[in-house]
Amino acid sequence: MNYLDSLVIIAVAGLIHASFQLSVSMLTLLSSHTIGRRRSQARLLALMNSFTLGAAVMTVLLLSFAALVVSLSLDTRQNTLLAWTVTCGLLGGVGLAVWLFYYRREVGTTLWIPRGMARFLNRRAKSTKDPTEAFGLGLISVLAELLFVLAPILVAALVLVELPTTWQLVGIALYTVVSLLSLFVVNAWIGSGHSISRVQRWRESNKRFLQFAAGSGLLILGFYLYVDHVVTVTALAAAGGAL
Amino acid sequence: MTYVIKRAGKRQAEEFAPHKVHSSVRSACLSVRSPEGEAETIAARVGDVVSQWIHTKPSVTSHDIRRVAATALEAFHPEAAYLYQNHELVV
Repeated sequence: MNYLDSLVIIAVAGLIHASFQLSVSMLTLLSSHTIGRRRSQARLLALMNSFTLGAAVMTVLLLSFAALVVSLSLDTRQNTLLAWTVTCGLLGGVGLAVWLFYYRREVGTTLWIPRGMARFLNRRAKSTKDPTEAFGLGLISVLAELLFVLAPILVAALVLVELPTTWQLVGIALYTVVSLLSLFVVNAWIGSGHSISRVQRWRESNKRFLQFAAGSGLLILGFYLYVDHVVTVTALAAAGGAL
Repeated sequence: MTYVIKRAGKRQAEEFAPHKVHSSVRSACLSVRSPEGEAETIAARVGDVVSQWIHTKPSVTSHDIRRVAATALEAFHPEAAYLYQNHELVV
């Protein structure tokens, strides 16, 4: 696999990560409460940027940690094959879970997370007044969705460890930027003075499409990687052994 | 005097407080970037509608108050009404 192929896979994994909505929901809530309290535009921007920075830091930490674990545990070709097989299975499973459970079957954009947790996050978003708290909220928003974001992060980690060190940094930066695209868009939209209700209406009316796209993306990526990294490698090894 | 039964009956009922309706409607209007004066006027009008509706009732649920306030707000500011109705359905 050349560098371009690797970076494309990392970007696709990041794009799937970006389609998960908890961080966007929390950023919407945070800015809604901030504007509703007549806080200044500077304060609003500080809170939103801190939140986005928090989400970025947690994404970098999770990806780096996953890459470290992968690089320490993949010592033989057998282990590498096993890791790719497990990850592809995980992608398929998470893809189906996204199709079935990601959004609740009710109005609004209520997500799969337990209602008690959702109320807690709602309260935290409401009471966040300080950029440091917003930073923490950004960290939590990525961590709380670990169940779903783990699959694309593992894919990116497996691809990263095959790259030279400099390209690993490029890969981490690429994944982080792509995975935060939805936050950047919402940040720019609200920061430039547009209405939050339009963001929320758009999200509500397109939630089934986003759910379908995320689930399909995971399944397609899982299938492609299984063929490319497991079936092809096994077939080539078998053919090499037969010759 | 009208008592408000809190969500799912888990918290103790409390006396109806018009200022709570006023401040939540005002916040919803400000959240969609309405000017402060407009937000105050709309909040006062919605508050009147809710107070009139509640006048003859011994007890109501907080959900009922929210529903009536949202319906009244819809007439004055649909965007704010949308946020008001959906504020707990975002996450």
